[in-house]
Amino acid sequence: MKKLFVSSVLILASAFVLAQTPEEKGLSIAIEADKRDQGFVDSKVELEMVLIDRNGNESPRELRLKGLEGQGEEGDKSLMIFDTPIDQKGVAMLTYTYKKDADDQWLYLPALKRVKKISSKNKSGPFVGSEFAFEDISSQEVEKYTYKYLRDEKLDGVDCFVVERYPTDRYSGYTKQIAWIDQAEYRVMKVDFYDRKNSLLKTLENKGYKQYLNKFWRPDESYMKNHQTGKATRLVYKNYEFKVGLNDKEFTKNSLKRAK
Amino acid sequence: MRRLSFFSTLFLMGSMSHADISMTSQMDYESTAYFADSKLSEVGNDERTNQSLAFRTELYGEVAESQTITFKPFVRWDENDDERSHFDVRELIWHKVADEYELKAGIGKVFWGVTESQHLVDIVNQTDVVESLDGEQKLGQPMVQLLLERDWGNLDLFILPYHRERTFVGPEGRLGLGLNYADAIYDSDNGESNIDVAARFYTYIDEFEYAVSLFHGTGREPVVGFDSSSNQLLPYYPTISQLGLEMQYLNEGWAWKFEGIVRDGMPESPQTGQPVVFDGVNLTVADSETYFATTAGFEYTQVGIWDTRIDLGWVVEHLYDSRQSDAPAGTFEHDALLATRWAANDAASSTLLAGVLVDYEDMDYALSFEGTTRVFESVIVSLEARIFAPSDDESPLWGFRDEDFVKLTFSYYL
Repeated sequence: MKKLFVSSVLILASAFVLAQTPEEKGLSIAIEADKRDQGFVDSKVELEMVLIDRNGNESPRELRLKGLEGQGEEGDKSLMIFDTPIDQKGVAMLTYTYKKDADDQWLYLPALKRVKKISSKNKSGPFVGSEFAFEDISSQEVEKYTYKYLRDEKLDGVDCFVVERYPTDRYSGYTKQIAWIDQAEYRVMKVDFYDRKNSLLKTLENKGYKQYLNKFWRPDESYMKNHQTGKATRLVYKNYEFKVGLNDKEFTKNSLKRAK
Repeated sequence: MRRLSFFSTLFLMGSMSHADISMTSQMDYESTAYFADSKLSEVGNDERTNQSLAFRTELYGEVAESQTITFKPFVRWDENDDERSHFDVRELIWHKVADEYELKAGIGKVFWGVTESQHLVDIVNQTDVVESLDGEQKLGQPMVQLLLERDWGNLDLFILPYHRERTFVGPEGRLGLGLNYADAIYDSDNGESNIDVAARFYTYIDEFEYAVSLFHGTGREPVVGFDSSSNQLLPYYPTISQLGLEMQYLNEGWAWKFEGIVRDGMPESPQTGQPVVFDGVNLTVADSETYFATTAGFEYTQVGIWDTRIDLGWVVEHLYDSRQSDAPAGTFEHDALLATRWAANDAASSTLLAGVLVDYEDMDYALSFEGTTRVFESVIVSLEARIFAPSDDESPLWGFRDEDFVKLTFSYYL
């Protein structure tokens, strides 16, 4: 009886899905992915960022990332602090993500004790010499893109939705992104980035997903490959923590100066 | 006194567990080459090269819940200039973060301002002139600072109980032009121990950031007069009041910047004669005047030019001082900065800043070039070059006409 009920719901649900346009389905996938990640409150993680040149030479750097989930209509806030390269130690970046407007970003340079506002036009620029652009590392709010569902596809044996998304910000460095999102947990497995000339620029792969607090899926590693230059950047995440009691005061422009 | 605080800090830090303390150090080796012999070799230094070493370290630790101490000593040895060989406590400061306020006490450093060519508003810390010509190196300032962060903005209040004298390049340093300075004289009866006060309010509305600041006390900029008893230049520190305004508006690739000050209490510098004369007994100080000075301009940044990762910025600033030809030597009274900033966005964090500062009425030019890149994981190489092109012997830059130099610095981080 129960089984019957479940399958009839599934049939009903798939009928509903069929009635959606590809745009509606793409958006509903993004909304579902966002919903499944709600409620993390705040988080902390250590990051190793390895810049890899086209000959495979590696240049590592270490940073820490703190995040605060936005309430209601607010976007998330994040604070990134560099530990190495040692000449960049104490350099910190604060980001306020907004659902509709361009993000606010400030960079703190400890040698000069100077906080510099970063122009939102810079979002397509490379983040600290890496293959990640500023816009790749900021919080991926649903409203930052419009969507179009393409197809279902297996990626490394995992059933995925393949969704095209188009940045709404005119300063984005991309015309479109194609994302592979797994159907079971709505995790972003892979993203292809297309540049302003609409040719394939980069591919991001998220590997080693683990679940925290029985809810939040986070990868152990993100690998961004630039197809046009042959360079790559590997991000390795360590010691994820959630609900550690961070508050708004730790995410102000003033707090950048004491970020250690 | 310095030694005492040095050891007491070591003791305090020693009492913390090892894991709580972080330490970063930097060793600089600097080599400078001058293009020409000094014209002042009979009084000054006729060396064409100069070597220098500097060491700085930062110790940081948590001493209690939400309370930290930062200690940053600095020392430099210079081959030729005894004034440049110096020691300073850049910071030795206790910092408490509470829910409603932050409090700092000790020797600290703050930066105020938005413009590139000069830092008019930045008055809390004294400039360590012997370190660099750009005025961005500062001496540690004894202070108590209260920071209030509210919905309506940020308010910083300062009590500054001790005045640091500006450093001057010595007669043996090439850029010192063979000049000697007498002991400083203060306007305040309390001398260097006058209690100065400062406040700064700052906030932002969308892409518009602004700050208003007030300072009252002994000025950081000395009026250079003459000590006729010793035939030396005389640094005189008047008691001043200063109102400062900073504004920055970001719009797409444009950053529009403004800094302005109104300052009261500076003795006038007459075109002939001295603002301050001391004959060993009597001190004669010219009447003070109220004046204003501004820096205004923009920086326009092109992200990823020519389909590369390179960011290219253009900096244009206008520098003005209401005293015009009565302004003391070294003032940018009618000048303009044109500069270009390159950021390679590579793994080596390479950057380049090249510019020219033009006095457009007297047609004096000062060219500068600063490049920096990381060569190994913990070594940064910087190259600085400066060329002085004064129009004629009336120019305040005239003394520097043969002081063009190239400076190479290796910074090793450990």
